[in-house]
Amino acid sequence: MNKVLITGSEAAALGAKLAKIEVLGYYPITPAFPAMERLSKYIEDGELNCKFIRVESDHSALASVLGGSLAGARSYTVTNSQGLLLMTEVVYHAAGLRQPIVMGVANRALSAPHSRFPEHGDAVSQGATGWIQLFSENNQDVLDNTIQAFRVAEELRTPVMVNYEGYLQSHTLEEVFVPDQGKVDAFLPLKRMPALDVTNPRGVNTVAGPDVYTDYKYIQNAAMEQALELIPKVAADYNREFGANSCGLIEGYMMDDAEHAIVAMGSIVGTARLLVDELRKQGKKIGLVKVKTWRPFPAQAVNQILKNVKYVTVLDKNIVFGVGGALATDIKANLYGQGSMVINGAILGLGGGKCGVKEIKEAVDHTESSENKNRSEWIGL
Amino acid sequence: MAVKNLPIVPSGDPGALVEAANYATWRIFRPVITESAKVNPIVTLYCPDGAITVDESGAEVNYKLCKGCGICAKESEGIQMVPEYTGPKGVF
Repeated sequence: MNKVLITGSEAAALGAKLAKIEVLGYYPITPAFPAMERLSKYIEDGELNCKFIRVESDHSALASVLGGSLAGARSYTVTNSQGLLLMTEVVYHAAGLRQPIVMGVANRALSAPHSRFPEHGDAVSQGATGWIQLFSENNQDVLDNTIQAFRVAEELRTPVMVNYEGYLQSHTLEEVFVPDQGKVDAFLPLKRMPALDVTNPRGVNTVAGPDVYTDYKYIQNAAMEQALELIPKVAADYNREFGANSCGLIEGYMMDDAEHAIVAMGSIVGTARLLVDELRKQGKKIGLVKVKTWRPFPAQAVNQILKNVKYVTVLDKNIVFGVGGALATDIKANLYGQGSMVINGAILGLGGGKCGVKEIKEAVDHTESSENKNRSEWIGL
Repeated sequence: MAVKNLPIVPSGDPGALVEAANYATWRIFRPVITESAKVNPIVTLYCPDGAITVDESGAEVNYKLCKGCGICAKESEGIQMVPEYTGPKGVF
């Protein structure tokens, strides 16, 4: 294990390289492109034996990766925002066809109006697709999550998105511990599961009539529910093998005696830690819950960690129009009937908007002063 | 109710859709090989469904796959499009 100073994009590329991906389909989009650039250099330099498929659109990028996966190759791509939206049809195909694809998503706000800045709107738009979604707090998480994602995906035959935020993570240097290749090889043994066989031709994605469609979806959902048990096990294995500190579904920070809990995912978790430290110094019983696994939603784990708090402030860098923040909505739904805490959602940091300590403090104060439990507060208008 | 035992990757035998659709009910005209020796082998590449083959023994259309688009008849001699339906006039 050695220590390097790299961006989130490089961490994603390094994770895919350590996993020895065999097929990379890619169409350029900002801010995901540096991950592809780094991977293409690994291939050019002979450090990675991988088929790099250059295509004419993001839709084709994921389609080529899906083809690679159906043929039994370990397959990977990266994208974000509009690219992810264009891929959406194939995103559903990959999940329904149960292919263990891993995709890095350098989260960026969605058009219109056009924005190139970080936000979780793109990932949230894919929340019903049947992909497992992991969120990364820092560049170490990006690397750790990418390697773990291949293990989870291949054990469950379910694709995984590894989310990291555009620019805030994709273009920002951080110290990252890199596991040894030999140990990663042992952690990620390649189990080929080709769905295509030239000696026994079959059609994939054939018509499923009303008599079996529900059954297919039930089986697909059961795999997602299994992920709730598998992800913590894989994270524990990973921590044991590599001396890492990677959480499974969620991580509690200062939650033992907390009366007020901040719940967040992605890079804002790191900022919220600073606020929790500051308020703890002033004697406030506040804690933080980092949601690493957003899909499947870790309902039990979240309910357990929040069962004794009075106030919950959920930070959402996304907006589901007419509903509120996606994470806040999930938490409210899962805590239904479980207590009488005040749960407030805060919408902040949309399209690169401010989401520093000051804005999070504003959200926390709002929760404690508010009697309205069903609305989202917009911070930073 | 028990969950049905299904393949993990939703898949079926080739042509399952064709069988389900009771053999090409979508076709209004079918390509018929009139002079096998004149059929240009390039039609095997033009056919969007891989429904036509040309080899030493001649040209052959797989009617399970053919959608009746007529590209082969347009591009090559020796193939004619004929109506699928040969019943009383005025039905279409």
